[in-house]
Amino acid sequence: MPDWLNKWRQVRDAAADVLSMNRRNLGYVYPHNARCDFPVANDKLLCKEILQPLGVPLAKTHYSYRYFYELRTLAEDLKGLDEFVIKPASGSAGNGIIVIVGREGDEWLGISGKRYSLEAIQRHLSDIIFGVFSFDNNDAAIIEERVVQHEVMERLYDRGLADVRIILFKHEPVLAMSRVPTHASDGKANLHQGAVGLGIALESGRCTHAMLQGVPIEKHPDSGTVLIGVEMPFWSEILSHSRHIAEAVPLKYLGIDIAIGKSGPVLLEINARPGLEIQNVNRQAMRPLLEAIR
Amino acid sequence: MAEQQKKSGRRRAAYWLLIGLLVVLPFGMMGFKLFLLDYPLKGLIPQQSYQVELAMEVDGHGDRIQMQAFLPRSDARQLIIEEQQATGLFTQNLQSEGMNRIASWEGDGVQGHQEVRYTVLVQSKPVRYELPEGQSIPAHYPPSLQPYLMVEEGIQVDSPLIAERVEQLLPATQERTLAESLTTIHRHLQDAFENRNFSGYTDALTALKLGEASCNGKGRLFVALARKLNIPARLVGGFIMEGGSKRTSHQWVEAYVNGHWVPFDTINDHYAEIPANYLTLYYGDEVLFKHSSNVNFQYRFTTTKRLIPRYEAQQTLGDSIFNLINFYTLFERVGISQDLLKVLLMIPLGAFVTVVFRNVIGIETFGTFLPALIAAAARETGLVWGLIGFILIITITALVRKGLDWLQLLHSPKMAVILAVVVVVMMMMTVTGVQLGLFELAQMTLFPIAILAITAERFAIITEEQGVKKALHLMATTAVVIAACYAVMSSLFMQSLFLAFPELLLVVMALNMWLGRWVGMRLMEYYRFRHLLQSGVSNA
Repeated sequence: MPDWLNKWRQVRDAAADVLSMNRRNLGYVYPHNARCDFPVANDKLLCKEILQPLGVPLAKTHYSYRYFYELRTLAEDLKGLDEFVIKPASGSAGNGIIVIVGREGDEWLGISGKRYSLEAIQRHLSDIIFGVFSFDNNDAAIIEERVVQHEVMERLYDRGLADVRIILFKHEPVLAMSRVPTHASDGKANLHQGAVGLGIALESGRCTHAMLQGVPIEKHPDSGTVLIGVEMPFWSEILSHSRHIAEAVPLKYLGIDIAIGKSGPVLLEINARPGLEIQNVNRQAMRPLLEAIR
Repeated sequence: MAEQQKKSGRRRAAYWLLIGLLVVLPFGMMGFKLFLLDYPLKGLIPQQSYQVELAMEVDGHGDRIQMQAFLPRSDARQLIIEEQQATGLFTQNLQSEGMNRIASWEGDGVQGHQEVRYTVLVQSKPVRYELPEGQSIPAHYPPSLQPYLMVEEGIQVDSPLIAERVEQLLPATQERTLAESLTTIHRHLQDAFENRNFSGYTDALTALKLGEASCNGKGRLFVALARKLNIPARLVGGFIMEGGSKRTSHQWVEAYVNGHWVPFDTINDHYAEIPANYLTLYYGDEVLFKHSSNVNFQYRFTTTKRLIPRYEAQQTLGDSIFNLINFYTLFERVGISQDLLKVLLMIPLGAFVTVVFRNVIGIETFGTFLPALIAAAARETGLVWGLIGFILIITITALVRKGLDWLQLLHSPKMAVILAVVVVVMMMMTVTGVQLGLFELAQMTLFPIAILAITAERFAIITEEQGVKKALHLMATTAVVIAACYAVMSSLFMQSLFLAFPELLLVVMALNMWLGRWVGMRLMEYYRFRHLLQSGVSNA
């Protein structure tokens, strides 16, 4: 057998193990996540409503706005708040999120150093309600408690919230990673925008790989903290909460995003179509793991 | 569980059955048409064709300018398929005069350098006649042929010099046959007269005296000598379609033999024949172009060779009885031309091309339909100008949107403003296109406005959320897919095939359905997961 043919066969066999976009959609998302169950993942308010009674740790919702007239009370609502997060209920990829860390006179201070007037905040909320961040469907805007990050995560990078993403299939964790923001990602935990991906071993919660835009790295590009070997705090809680959440929602193939606060994990959101990059971050093809659960 | 498996098994069976039907049905219909109805499949085999562009330029000084030219018409030898005019500032008027088609263009207050363009797609064949040996020259002709025997200003049939030359070449003492006479005149002009590359007017006598001439001088002398011998003859004006651009036209002659007008060209030695690349523009002793004086008139013919299926075959296929009692005439009755129908039939094919790029190759585009629709609209502008127009519209609109952002508008009113901006940008591009003589750019009005507005908005959002680099990348990949769609959709082979067999759309549907359940790895994913694949190889 010629060498190239042999090599091609090996690549083809290896490719069968990798979960590709087409197979994720046809083999996992469509058959296991019914379209009518997507709102659980898409609407953070609904998600909170379902999970609250189960004792899943959630960021406290200060206010939510679904209609423009509700914004009339905004000035009053924000009076006592110096630290909060504004989110679209149906946003994705970290878009439309503003993190407020303090107040200076009439203005609020964003985590990136940007200042927001009351009018700016009001306009951002109207944009959210109008659906700018959720493909033109009307949406609700949430003002919720800001999660103050655990010092282990804060040491990795302190200008944005890192998260942990766990993919579960039929209630079983399959792969885990952590996404740590960078200057380049503008404080967002989004790999495509330049956040660092940490491959996390499911058993130990320890970081085994670190990737920046698909390239292995050892230290965080901005903070210089060594990444390999870092252990996620509250790892066993994170796993058990993930299992609980997966059992509580009708989605059978999902990604759960969790932030690690000072006093424990906090659920950020649920994703019914989790991305594929987690395989690269862990240097691990996912299909054999999924097939084993079947 | 068993219930679910049964359900998915049933779904799979239905899926394959449907795909099978969507493939078998159209191919069955095609077979029926080909074997039982004798569809001329041969007609789909591409044939050499010529796309000729005539550009006429003038420099105006604020006065009224008129231009006039002869346009080709279809006959037994040449078939005019598609004509397009870009008249710029001028209004066009078409009229028939005898056998000729005359186009005139008029403009008032013309300033600066202006241009009129006329493009035509031609399929033509060579002709060759065998002249009958031994047949004598007829003594009488019907009245309709009398004009072709008369004296004209530049064709001095009555001159003694012409009579003398005829006597020299073909003495009246011998019997003059038709074939022999034409051969002698042809050989005499071809061999004894030198070709001159002179573009001015030469009448028959001048050519005779000088013993040298350009095409029009030789043509007039040929006609004069033939008419003197009582053989009806006429001048033909036209153009030789050769690749590239040129500023010369051509003239040759035709002589009337047994009910046929037989061509002769004594510049290029074509005896009773002309090649396929001769394009006839007019008959008679005319001037190809007329124009107002003092306008620095220039013209240029540009020929591009193209391989396309025979047009008659398209027509017969379209008109076939099997097309549900002349299916296409129904469209024509409400003003939808076959040309438009061809584009319509190609759009699903373009969408399929986009699907292949997205789901098999893994290249992102703006929308699933945008590339096919832009490619369809680029039929009027050509691919390059279509892409330039697309990129210009998106970037200008996105820039305007950035400005609107500063004004802090709500979403829906903002989108409506953006839609208006797209329309304005398109109209401005048309106006600039006309002013600059870039007529391709001026044809942009067929672009899908709403989809462009949505795309501009998405482009702007992506520049904000994911960076300008990402947005430009997406624009570039979209441009590549548009080009691919254009290549497939503008293929006249595909167009004829789908026009003849519209049932092939079912096959396109089947292909899309098959891709709809295709779980293979996208080409780009082989790159994205290359490290995983490599480690897979090393583990093995």
